Formats: sequence, C-alpha cells, structure tokens
Amino acid sequence: METIDLLVVGGGIVGLTAAIAAAEGGARVALVDAAINAGSNANAGSLHVQMQSRFIRLFPDQAPNVEASLPLYLSAVKEWERLDREIGPFELVRKGGLMLAESAEQMAFLEQKAAREARQGLHVDLLGRSELDKLAPWLGEQIVGAELCHDEGKLNPLVANVRLRARAIELGVDMQIDHVTGLGQQGHVTVHCASGRVHHCDKVILAAAWGVGSLVQGFGLDLPVRAEPLHMNITEAGAGQINHLIQHAERSITLKQFGSGQIVIGGGWQAQSRGNQDVPGVLAQSLLGNIALAARLVPSIGQLRVIRTWAGMNTTLDGKSLLGGVPGAERIILAVPGDAGYTLGPLCGRAAACLALGNEPPLDIDPFTPGRFSA
Amino acid sequence: MSDQPSGFTFNGRPVALRIGQSVAAALTEAGQRPFRVTAKGEKRGMFCGMGVCQDCLVTVNGVPNQRACMTPARDGMQVATQVAFAALTEQPAVQTQEGRQLAPDVLVIGAGAGGLNAAIAAAGSGAGVVVLDERKVSGGQYYKQAAGAASVLDTQQQDGAALIAAAVSAGVEILSEVEVWGVFEGLLVMAHHEGRALIARPRTLIVATGAFERPRMVPGWTLPGVMTTGAAQTLWRSYRTLPGKRVVVAGSGPLNLQVALELSRGGADVVMVSESARPPHRQPLAAARMVAAGPRLAARGLAMSLGLRQRGVNVAHQTSLSRVVEVENGLKASFKDAHERQIDHLVDAVCMNDGFEPQNEILRLLGADMRYDPAFGHLRCKRDSTMQTSVPQLYAIGDCAGLGGAPAASVEGTIAGLAAASYCRDTPVPDLRKLQSSLAAHRRFQQRLWALYDIGPRDLSAQDDDLVVCRCEEVSLGELRQALGTAPGHAGTVKRATRAGMGRCQGRYCGPVTARMVAERDNRQVEDRSFYAPRVPIKPVSITAILAAQEMLDGND
Repeated sequence: METIDLLVVGGGIVGLTAAIAAAEGGARVALVDAAINAGSNANAGSLHVQMQSRFIRLFPDQAPNVEASLPLYLSAVKEWERLDREIGPFELVRKGGLMLAESAEQMAFLEQKAAREARQGLHVDLLGRSELDKLAPWLGEQIVGAELCHDEGKLNPLVANVRLRARAIELGVDMQIDHVTGLGQQGHVTVHCASGRVHHCDKVILAAAWGVGSLVQGFGLDLPVRAEPLHMNITEAGAGQINHLIQHAERSITLKQFGSGQIVIGGGWQAQSRGNQDVPGVLAQSLLGNIALAARLVPSIGQLRVIRTWAGMNTTLDGKSLLGGVPGAERIILAVPGDAGYTLGPLCGRAAACLALGNEPPLDIDPFTPGRFSA
Repeated sequence: MSDQPSGFTFNGRPVALRIGQSVAAALTEAGQRPFRVTAKGEKRGMFCGMGVCQDCLVTVNGVPNQRACMTPARDGMQVATQVAFAALTEQPAVQTQEGRQLAPDVLVIGAGAGGLNAAIAAAGSGAGVVVLDERKVSGGQYYKQAAGAASVLDTQQQDGAALIAAAVSAGVEILSEVEVWGVFEGLLVMAHHEGRALIARPRTLIVATGAFERPRMVPGWTLPGVMTTGAAQTLWRSYRTLPGKRVVVAGSGPLNLQVALELSRGGADVVMVSESARPPHRQPLAAARMVAAGPRLAARGLAMSLGLRQRGVNVAHQTSLSRVVEVENGLKASFKDAHERQIDHLVDAVCMNDGFEPQNEILRLLGADMRYDPAFGHLRCKRDSTMQTSVPQLYAIGDCAGLGGAPAASVEGTIAGLAAASYCRDTPVPDLRKLQSSLAAHRRFQQRLWALYDIGPRDLSAQDDDLVVCRCEEVSLGELRQALGTAPGHAGTVKRATRAGMGRCQGRYCGPVTARMVAERDNRQVEDRSFYAPRVPIKPVSITAILAAQEMLDGND
C-alpha cells in the first residue's frame, strides 16, 4: 500500500499554497482538484484589509468576527508579498484602498470604522475631498471623502494562479483532477475518489472552500459554509490612472486597474448558481447595477467598453477562518478562509501545511479551530 | 449641407469620402491600411469587415475604440490612429436620451436572408415583428446591399433590395445600427441604438445572426492589408472600394471565387486565387452529385470559374497560403502548391476565407443545446422541425445554427416565422411540408457542394511557435502549446493561463482553435462545453451604454 505524506483537496489559492509550503518542507504531496466552480479561478485580485462595507451590511452577525480577524488580513497581505517576491511577480501593487463616501452619514460611518480598524493595527486615514483630489482627481464630483487604508492593494490573480501552479508542479506535487467522494481516518487517512482511486496518506488538508461542508459531515461537524455566486466585469485597456483599490462606504463595489490597463469591476454582486457542473450565470440586474455604480464613482471610465463578465463562487462561513484538525480525526485538517478568501488564502494555506507537518503555524490558530462547529 | 461630402481627417490629414462609405472603406480607398497599434506595438487594420474582430479600431471625434468598419464616415469627422491605451478622460455628462422598450410578438436578430424571410412570414401571419440589425443597411452578408448612392450591382443585390422592400411593406419594423450586447434568461434582450438604450422582452425570439469567416492562420495573417474575403466583398459591394490594386484570394470555398470575380470586374488585378481543395474535375463523382442536387446553382458556379478564366485570373487548386510578409511596396504573399513548391506574389491586399464559424453567442448564452459537427469543425444548434431550439420560444435560423447557406437560411426563416407567429396568435402551425422538402433539397445541395471543398478546421501542428493565434491579446501558438503541457483539461484554463480569448473579439478566432487543441490533447470529442463559456456582453459595450440601460430600467421599475 503506497502512502503519501499529504493529500491536499482543492487546487485553489489555499490548496496550492498549502501544497507548495508542504512540498518545500520536504513532504510528498498530492493534490486533488474537482475542476468545478473554483473561486480562485474567478477571483478579481483585490487584496482586502479594511472591513468591507458589503460584508458588514449583508452579514452583520459575522462582523464582530471579521473585526477580530483584522490583524490576520495584515499578515495575509505580507504573505502575498513574500510569494510575490519568491514565486512572482504577480503584478502586486500595494498603494492602498479608498473607501468612498457620497454623504456626510457615510463619512461618519467611515470615521467610526476607521477608529475601530486603527485599534486593530491597520494603517488608515480619513480624507476630505480636497485631500482626495490630490490622490484621485478622477473621482465623481459627488464624492465627499474617503477612508484610505494604506495596507490594501491588488494583484493579477491570473498570473498568480499560473505561477503558483507551476511552482507546485516544479516541487513535485502530484496534481490530479478528481472528485473526493469519501474520507476516513483509521491510523492514516483514506480518501476515496470518483475515479475509483483510493489515496492513503498521513495527513489530509481540506481546502475545498464551500465544498468542505459535505466532506466533514460524517465527523460531527456542522459547518455553516455557504457558496455565494458573485459577478465581475472587465473593460478593455485604458491609460494607467487608477492606482488604488476603490470601494464604497455603503454599496457593493470593488474597482481597480490591472497592469494591462483594464478596469476590473466587481465587489459582490449576485450571480446565478447553475449547479456544480456549470459556471454560475450572469444576471442582468447585477451587470447593470454594478457598472452603473462604477460609472458614477469614476466617470472617466465611461468611454471604455466592457468586454467580458464572469461569475464565480465566493465562500462565506461565520466571518472567521477555519484552521485546524477535525475533532476526533486530527489528521484531517481544515483550511477555509473566513472571508476575502483570495487575500487570506496563502496565509491559511501555509498555516495548514505547518499543522500537517507538525510545525508551528505562522499565526495563533486558537480562534479558528473547527471545534466551534462541533454538533 | 451639400450632397457630395468633401471628407474627414485622419491624424490631421484630409481623406476624401463618398456618401455611405464606412470609415474603413474611405481610409482603404485613401491607401491607409494600419488603423491601430497594439499593446506590443504591432500595426493592425481592417480584418473581418463586419464588426467581429475589433482590429480596425480608431478614435473618432475623441471617442476611442470605434470600429472603422461599422462607423459611417461623415463630413468633418476627426479620425485618429487608435493607441493601445486610450486616455481616460471625463466626458461631459451624457444627456441620456430616452431609451426604448419593446415587447413584440416576434423579435428577429439579424436582417440577412434568414432574418428577413422570418420577419416577412411572421408579419404575414399577423404577428407584430421587429428586426434588429447591426449594420446600417439591411441584407446581411449574402445580399450585401450598396450603401448610399452606389448603384445596384447585380441580381443578388436586386433580390436583396426586393426582400427588404417586402419586409417593410409587410409591416415589419427594421431597426438598423443596433448593437445587441446582452441576452438573459426569459428572452430579455439589451441593445444600444443611436446612442440610446433599447430593451426588448419579446414573446418569441428568432436568432438569425449568421456566421463570420474562419481565417487561415499563417505567419503574417494579422498584418494590415490581410483581410477576410467577406471584408473585401463588403468594401466592393457596399462601398465600391477595392481592397487594393493587386489582390490575392486564398482559402477554400465558392465565396472566394465569387469575390475574386467581383473584384476583378471592379478593376482589381486579382493575381491568383488559391484553393486548397482539388479541382472539381479531379473529383468527378462528387462534382456530379453536386450538379445533380442543384443544377442551377452548379451552373452559376461554373459561370464564375469561366468568368475568372476569361479575365485571366489563375485559380490554383491544391495550393495554400503559407505566409504573408510586409515589404517595401506592399505585402509578399507566399503559397505552397501540391508539390510543395513556393509561389510568391507581391500584392496590396490578401483576402482569406477558410470556411465559417457560426455567430451562436446568443444561442449559447440562452442555453440552447448544441452538437459539434466535426466535418465543418463548428457547433450546430439542435432544432425541431419548426426551427425551435431546446429553449422554448427561441428559434435559430441560418448559418448561426451551423453553416447551411443563404437559400436554406431563407426557408428556415419562413418556417420559424410561421411557427413563431402561430405560437403568438395561438393558432395551429400551418402545413410546413412543402417548405421542409424544399429545405431538404437546399441542404442536400449544400452538403454535396461542401464535399468538393476543404471545409474542416485547419491543423496548426506544422506551424512554428511564434504564429499569433489570439489576435487581440497577441498570444502565440507556442504559448498555447506550453499551456497544453500542464494538462489544462479545459479551454478556459488555457485562456486564464495565456490570456488567449480575453481580448476584444472575445475569443472568436482563437477560441475554436484552443477548444480543439485541448480536446485533441485529452483524446476527447469536441462538444459545446469544450468552448469558452458564453458570457455577456456579446460584443464589447461602452460603460455609458450600460448606464443608459440601467437608468431606463430604474426609471420604469
């Protein structure tokens, strides 16, 4: 019976970085990816640090958990910078993120938010319109001010995904397209796949985002994990102008310019799930609403044409990440970022790899262990 | 204003124009071939001539990225070379004009042979019909009408004009210069028309969007002056503009012969027509079967061949374009004949048609079932005997459902128009047997006609790594090959890894190539899912246009 050190389930940003970290640590690693509806493939490359207003509005019950996790986002961006240096470049730019206010009330909300974030160690400033004009004179004239979070940034996820995948292959990670149908721990871990293949491994990392819920159902864990299909848009290239990651104090939007000159517009507008075998569908009201909002915030993009839209799965949990062994089956390690999965992905991936290899993880995982969901 | 416009400027220099000419036609006539510069500094010009390839972009009166082939030239216009990165400049707030919402019984997209016949049949049965067409003048690619003052060329144009007149007198409303950019579940159609939003919620939708031409991907196929045969035909038939003085026509199929003859008669020096198939007399059985299936059309084909011979145009069979190079006074087009001998010609324009790709974006977006036709190398839309797709009240007619030619498209249009009207009026579908037997005859002829040509997709395995496959993002065959090495499993993975298909043409040219390469690598059949996922917008659409649609719906909901 052939046994490997580690099987990683999920080939997105968490699984890839976990596999890379473990392989760099000398482990024999295989990675199984179902090649369906991966969130990382659809990601738009925002590096989120400040609390996203959409999240506070949509999931108010989870907001305290997100707030408590803010230092994690700071570490996560630093982890991205390390990968960008060592495996990149991924067109990573960290010029900060602007969260815009269109009214005095929104500005007051940002003031409160900024004070809370500063207490968690984030580098934030509040800017009035005149200060904003020096940074971003192209903003719509109705914008009264903004919160600038210096820690935020953006990268090109297409480049990052390709480079990380190539790195994993280079390190000898055995990449397979397959679907896990069942797993159990009796001494080592046995993983059954749809192809009929059975993997025997010392440890397993479940990095399958919303897919982990069903995988651990038999282990007395009731994970409130949800797939959230989201919509994104990209324009043709324009001259470089927008350095910051743009968000809004009240409404759902992220807007940024890639190194290619293209403007990427997203930020959590709903898409339509069409089952696991098909990518989510694009909804008319999301396309119209998302683009119209972008055009009002940054009127200078009005002449550019949208050339593509797409949709992918975001994963939400309880606002906190999930890191650690399954209670009673500790060789099965869960690695699911709480929110902003692409930002948190590499840090979660490395933490999970450390746990699998018996090393000290790069963060205190106590607040994130799966035990909180034991039935 | 005078009837004879004097012209416009290109990069400040005066360009003469004739009424009705597109910007691309006027520039071509003035000898101006490069229109834009790519991100890598390459020059590009008009390629498809029908709004698909997005390579003829120019800046018009300060508005970037306008397709020269779809933009009517106007007196006093300021046209400029399109730079790769358009400046982001705030425009004065657009006075959004009142948009329009439609809810016709039957909405037809495309005013070609199929669409017009569908509209006439539906309107004749008492249905309210609106036709949306992207071009300024109806008729589609087959009937290609003269724009502006140009006189009628031949019976093909005459027939087209009669068909358009019949549609109008049947009470059909034809809206031209409409860019349909979005379709959504429940037959919701979003479009842009003369600066205004147009939103349609029809009871039935007939898609008649035709096909675009498959290129021969050889080194140099992206150079200005290399264009599709259809683009050259539009220049001549619609605008009386020759693509150049010295011309070669390359590829396979009867359109190449027809256009070569038209250009020759129009005064071009057609140096050679290369046809990769064997000549009909070397395939006597297949030729005889074709003649038996359609003696009248076969006679037209023979007349074209004789016409070319009389004019001294050399039709070289079993000969294929192998390379185009820019030289001092034009383009050097190189060919390989059956004996692998190289033939070079110095020309101004290279016209290429190597078959067709259906414009099936709307059908795929709405989830209509498709099947792959390996002989033609493209998808065919599954339809019932009334041309209804697997999506209720969605009909597909003509080449968008798989190549079938204009005569078949016309009959399919009539059938779909009658069926859609019957649905709307809740009346039984009339007896379609005569139409269906005529359709069967047209299809038989088409099948036998294409058997004489080399209609399958080209194999790129002999090409070098540096061949450009994705025109927009300038992705090479070598990059695609490298991506294949990582076992991508799907064309979408290759797209994300290489950017092939991420540009303005939305993967129309590289997409089919990538889908086939991935399927071949994995030893799998090509199917609908092999291709890039269909997504809105169907064509690039300005943010301002989307804003207009949003404001209109906001105001009404």
